[in-house]
Amino acid sequence: MVTSLLSSDDLRQARTLVEESGLSFEPPYDDLVGIFQSRQLVAVGARQGRVLKMLAVARSHQGGSLLDEVVTELIGRGFQQGADSFFIFTNPSHATNFERLNFNLLVSSGKSALLEYGDGLRRYLARQQPLVQPGPNGAVVANCNPFTLGHRYLIEQAAARVEHLYLFVVREEKSLFPFDCRYRMVREGTGDLKNVTILDTSSYAVSSVTFPTYFLKDGDPGGEVQMELDLLLFANRIAPHFNIITRFVGSEPLSKTTAAYNCAMHRLLPPLGVEVCELERKDAIGSVISASRVRNLLCRKEVEKLAELVPQTTLEFLLSGEGRKIWEKGVRT
Amino acid sequence: MKIIKKVQAGTMQSSDLMVFLEPADTLTVTIESTVLKQFGALIRAKVDEVLARHAIEAGVVRITDRGALDYAIEARLETAISRATEA
Repeated sequence: MVTSLLSSDDLRQARTLVEESGLSFEPPYDDLVGIFQSRQLVAVGARQGRVLKMLAVARSHQGGSLLDEVVTELIGRGFQQGADSFFIFTNPSHATNFERLNFNLLVSSGKSALLEYGDGLRRYLARQQPLVQPGPNGAVVANCNPFTLGHRYLIEQAAARVEHLYLFVVREEKSLFPFDCRYRMVREGTGDLKNVTILDTSSYAVSSVTFPTYFLKDGDPGGEVQMELDLLLFANRIAPHFNIITRFVGSEPLSKTTAAYNCAMHRLLPPLGVEVCELERKDAIGSVISASRVRNLLCRKEVEKLAELVPQTTLEFLLSGEGRKIWEKGVRT
Repeated sequence: MKIIKKVQAGTMQSSDLMVFLEPADTLTVTIESTVLKQFGALIRAKVDEVLARHAIEAGVVRITDRGALDYAIEARLETAISRATEA
């Protein structure tokens, strides 16, 4: 029977089993479950949001259905929490073990493979089918936290160079401004550009699944592999669906993580048929415009300087009751 | 009958299947199976038969199968339907 692992002895056994299997024991998680036989933990697995991890079965007990039971339990619990597709990162040599459980291989990069259960990527692409333009098209992926004149400049420049531009707004709720506010600022700030379509990235680009370290900003070395998976997934699955042949990106003088991401983009995308076009950032009052600069101003309540950095539409939102509530709360924490 | 909540039934073990039901305005059925090539059509026919018997005309039905026999498909789907339609 699969049970939750809660006591300190359970956790100790879980850590041992996970580490014996060559994985690392990595909190945090939402669920940690396992199977005991004769008081000995023989199988373990954890779920963090939509990602399943630390799946391990004791060597002496492999070949049976223990893994299936653990995965069933984690997916059942995750589904109750509202997730309908689930991801596993694993060594490519183990991918078939999960394909037997109806996981689909999304992308594999030599060192690491990403698999999905629940067919979410296909369902996501099918939902966007009515928005597909014949092309050749371009793409920008941006968080827009909040939407600035820098984003506006990048989008204008990019849209002028392609038939149609897809602007993917990062879906993940890890930023100061919630997704629906960011999406609204983008829509209002780009409404006059006829050949721009705004989409959400779902879990499939710059999300906590494909690129968790984007949200940490500390240049974590383990992020490298996942950065690759994020880009390979974009080039192999997303770009072909939308007839995207160019990905536009702003040059990155400030954030180390984003600079590394841009660098990986130049290395990985062109061989897969997606050209990378890096555009110089727009300047204002002495340095480049960035969303973090805007957030710093908000933090110091220097709202009079905002007009130089954000379009009128964003400014109106930031100064509205709803906008104020978000950043004033952010300032306090 | 009407699917009024999100439910799941079944397991991921061999010879079994997982069934997920969700409310929706139209009926969509997706089937993934390790034996889809050989038995996809038969699985689909069984699923349609059970849905029709319970007069399920709308909802998202997702099935991931690992070679379940038809009575297992019927049992898992019936369980999911009774969970999804009870108030």
